[in-house]
Amino acid sequence: MTNLSSLSFYLPELFLIGIILLSIIIELIPGCRKYNYFVVLAGLISVAIMLSWSSTESVSIFMGMSVSDPFAIFFKWIFVIATFYIVLISRADNSLDKRLSGEFNILLLIVMFGLFLMVTANNLIMVYLSIEMVSIASYILAGMLKNDLKSNEASLKYVIFGAFASGLMLYGFSWLYGLSGSTDLHEISAALSGHMDQPFVIYMAILLVLVGIGYKISMVPFHYWTPDVYEGAPTPVTAYLSVAPKAAGIALLIRFFSSTFTTDISTTVSNIDWTTLVAVLSAITMTVGNLLALQQTNIKRLLAFSSIAHAGYMLMVIPVISVDARAAVMIYAVPYLFMNLGLFFMAIAIHNQTSSFEISKWKGLGSRAPLMAGIMVVLLLSLTGLPPTGGFIGKVYLFSVLIKFQQFFWLAVIGVINSVISLFYYFRIVKTMYFSSADDETVFKIHPLLYWSIISCVVPVLLLGIYWSPLINFVQHSISMF
Amino acid sequence: MNPTVLIALAILFLPLLSFVFQIFIGHRIGRPAHWVSLIFIGTVLAFSISILTNAYLLHGHHVLNESVEWFSTGDFTLRLGFNIDNVAAIMLVVVSLISFLVHVYSTEYLKGDPRYTRYFGYLGLFTFSMNGIVLADNLIMMYVFWELVGLSSYLLIGFWFEKHSAADAGMKAFLTNRVGDIGMFIGIMILFFMLGTVNIEELAYEVSIGMADGGLTLLTIAGILVFMGAVGKSAQFPLHIWLPDAMEGPTPVSALIHAATMVAAGVYMLIRIFSFLTPDALAVIAVIGGITAIMAAIIAITQNDIKRVLAYSTVSQLGYMVMAIGVGAYQAGFFHLTTHAMFKACLFLASGSVIHAMHHALHKNNDHDTDPQDMRNMGGLKSKMPITFLTMLVATLALSGVPFFSGFLSKDAILAGTVAYYHAHHGWTIFLPIAGFGAAIITAFYMFRLIFMTFFGEPADKKIHDSVHENPVPMTTPLIILAILSFATIFTLPGWNPIENHGWFTHLVSEGENFAGLDMHETTEGIHHAHNTAMTISLIVATLGIAFAFVVYYFKKFKADSLAAAANKLKLYDISFNKFYIDEIYNAVLYKPFLWWCNVFSKIDWDYYDQKFIDGWGWLTLKISDASGYSDYNWLDQKIVDGIAKLTNYFSRELKQTQTGVIQTYIMGGVFGLMIIMILFQSI
Repeated sequence: MTNLSSLSFYLPELFLIGIILLSIIIELIPGCRKYNYFVVLAGLISVAIMLSWSSTESVSIFMGMSVSDPFAIFFKWIFVIATFYIVLISRADNSLDKRLSGEFNILLLIVMFGLFLMVTANNLIMVYLSIEMVSIASYILAGMLKNDLKSNEASLKYVIFGAFASGLMLYGFSWLYGLSGSTDLHEISAALSGHMDQPFVIYMAILLVLVGIGYKISMVPFHYWTPDVYEGAPTPVTAYLSVAPKAAGIALLIRFFSSTFTTDISTTVSNIDWTTLVAVLSAITMTVGNLLALQQTNIKRLLAFSSIAHAGYMLMVIPVISVDARAAVMIYAVPYLFMNLGLFFMAIAIHNQTSSFEISKWKGLGSRAPLMAGIMVVLLLSLTGLPPTGGFIGKVYLFSVLIKFQQFFWLAVIGVINSVISLFYYFRIVKTMYFSSADDETVFKIHPLLYWSIISCVVPVLLLGIYWSPLINFVQHSISMF
Repeated sequence: MNPTVLIALAILFLPLLSFVFQIFIGHRIGRPAHWVSLIFIGTVLAFSISILTNAYLLHGHHVLNESVEWFSTGDFTLRLGFNIDNVAAIMLVVVSLISFLVHVYSTEYLKGDPRYTRYFGYLGLFTFSMNGIVLADNLIMMYVFWELVGLSSYLLIGFWFEKHSAADAGMKAFLTNRVGDIGMFIGIMILFFMLGTVNIEELAYEVSIGMADGGLTLLTIAGILVFMGAVGKSAQFPLHIWLPDAMEGPTPVSALIHAATMVAAGVYMLIRIFSFLTPDALAVIAVIGGITAIMAAIIAITQNDIKRVLAYSTVSQLGYMVMAIGVGAYQAGFFHLTTHAMFKACLFLASGSVIHAMHHALHKNNDHDTDPQDMRNMGGLKSKMPITFLTMLVATLALSGVPFFSGFLSKDAILAGTVAYYHAHHGWTIFLPIAGFGAAIITAFYMFRLIFMTFFGEPADKKIHDSVHENPVPMTTPLIILAILSFATIFTLPGWNPIENHGWFTHLVSEGENFAGLDMHETTEGIHHAHNTAMTISLIVATLGIAFAFVVYYFKKFKADSLAAAANKLKLYDISFNKFYIDEIYNAVLYKPFLWWCNVFSKIDWDYYDQKFIDGWGWLTLKISDASGYSDYNWLDQKIVDGIAKLTNYFSRELKQTQTGVIQTYIMGGVFGLMIIMILFQSI
């Protein structure tokens, strides 16, 4: 499709660019600065409206550089919701410098734009550019707290590790280009299917691509940056990183692995058995994530490792090349978004009051803030994957795919064992809230924005645990990829 | 979305909102909080009436039949949905009207109760659950709400839980209902496995196309099992024992739940599933209904507690309705449900009014021993409480089946049904008309006994009589409204002939259809033919009953006591007074033997099995375990069990070492990781 006619499929992105430019201009006019926040929120709503009007056709746009398909739109919804939440509550975080809030919002929107590109990319160049666009803006966001050494450190580590990973990925891309003579994902897929005589070369290319994306979703052994960056970065940024780029990484992984590295008849290209590779890495990822989380006393580090473990859960079904597997990941992503955000918001609330992220500061919340503590229990139940929560439904669908596809049955077993391990550290938080008395019986104060955001996070988590048909239907309609 | 769906959703969920409000916020506001409930339930009433009007104008089309998918597993999809046909539309109005009136009435009756707002919350919960039963389009959803009304009934019976008898009554109601509900659930499951659906219309359709022909016996069994739910909820013999005890709850609750609506839920459910009940199942239903009708009526004669008389009367009337369904008088059964709801609610609220007044009078005279509910302590209240008297008289006339009142029309139709049933089947079925007419004569008698004992004659205690006053407007208004609704003309509109039932009701409710073998055309014809016979006999028996009550209690030609003594020569009085000894029989046949067996088993279990056998093994085991315990603790527990935990912890701690915080190590980890993967997986 030509560039001009492609624009009609690009309305959400065009709106987003408009909002970014508008808020940069507003930021430059001294008297208008204070309206930036509302402009950005209104802008995000307009993007969401555009998104709901998006065509559900699957077409390739901009001469094959990008695509527009329901699969991408599904993930765009996740990004819009996550970004909206983060912009909304950025006001309530005391550690963020209020003078920089305009810049914060603009950078966040740029990351979101990068994520939009990432899930629609159909060309190696676009994939690389979008990943860099997300990464570079995220590096700055991680270092937003200029006077905080930890934040600076986080930013620097993120940059170095990011450069390392994207270097490897770029190397992999060059191999792919060398093998196929094209940068278009579908042409690469076709070309790879014909290279039966070069299995190791193709294997190397796949592995290097996996490194690049694995770094984004913090897959072991490219997860090292995660805890340090999550701990140092401002909490709203951490919350965002744990949800949106991770979802985008998973989306990109699905696009690469279940279309480019898969032939039309659902077998792997050139019989390269990357499925076992991903399955083993998924098992290692969740195990390492959960084991390391056991030791944490800092809520942000704990959630960092828990997010590594959840990346492992989502990776579980990628080796099963089927529509059901893809649907299961998408179903899991939705409750994951809400339950993770809810916990981070609570961490912000407690940090506002105590200036600490230690879990011991959660002591006695059960009596000091009964409603909030109750909601936290629901969210933690959901993260563990217990009923009646959305997290349970997500896991049911993940495991049912594995059990139906006998070959990776062992992975389901490891997944269940990991859920048991995770129960320990999630419920240590519950224990802290209910069974340890608080060091100081000060009244628990919470910013109303955080309060209502947390409540709005728990509603879908509970609702999806009881009535999940709408989500399943939505996912079934969003399954098709270009 | 269809606007009717929104209205239906509002009808269902507004009462729930009222419950949530009263429970969580109400107690902070106090008494004015009842306005929220009144407004919500009033809105529900308005919506229900709009739906009924809509149904009337639609001429037999379904007002609403919509459902959404709840979940699907494998081939089975469970859908939640509403099905509002004409029957449901009428039932909605009945439920919300009486609920609303009871709300109004309770603002006065419960004034000053420490849990005032909670009471209104429970009423909201009940109305929500009851509307759920009415709206449900499938048996599973109905079952869920069925249990919910059971819960709200339990909460309301035991509302004054400081009284032991109230707490026990709540428990008794709950447990007795459980017996019926288990049967109902098994019945639903049989229907599901037989016909593959739980949707009521689909079930009827499957039966109508002959899907159940091979298993008519099974369908009969399923029907009887589902009917067990109604036996429990509608207090039919032999599970009727909970309803009289349920009178421990506040009187407005008795009016709403234990007279007009919840106990009618069983009948409503039978009406819903009528089209696939087999003739055999219907025969069982008819007999149970007949037994209940006559037995409860006999018990009611000798009771002295004003509420208990009404409670047994309710059981008896519910027996009528169930019997009507059983003999195929579908329309008559539902008609009696509707009319009975109005006049029985009126009777209960009126009795509440009397009790309330008595209570205040006793309180004023510092008399705390006299029972305000015992009719022997009343008498001569006619002049003191004219509104209560007149409304109660109207409702009594309706219940006794006197022409120009609604009960005449509906009872008549049921009696015609039983006569027709006898004409069609002969033999033992003579029992049904006998039970019907017998109960009719007794009903007329005991209701006028109640009226005379309460309102006429000499006051039992002059001092108390002097301090009795009519209750304020919030209590009398509902009485007046319900009394007006007990006139026959209300139901025959637009026709004005009060003894011919051809009004909006017959226009809306069909004669019913049955796909399981009952010829509805023949049944309807039979009822039509039996109409005049039934009307004549029922007029005679009503007159007889009322006349006898006049003779005994008004003119006092015979002394009631000597009559009782005469009857007691054959132990008749005792049987009636002691409710056929059913509680005692259950005690002797069920509970006592059960406890005896429990004791026997406990003795065997403890004295022989436990003390000798187990302890013998225990001794042996002790010796072995001493030996094995040592190895177990030192090896299995300390090494393996703790070992796994320690190992997990160890790995965790070792892995923690990789998280050094030094970026160089991280990169190295990444590179080495990549290399290891490369080498390990290169063979693939």
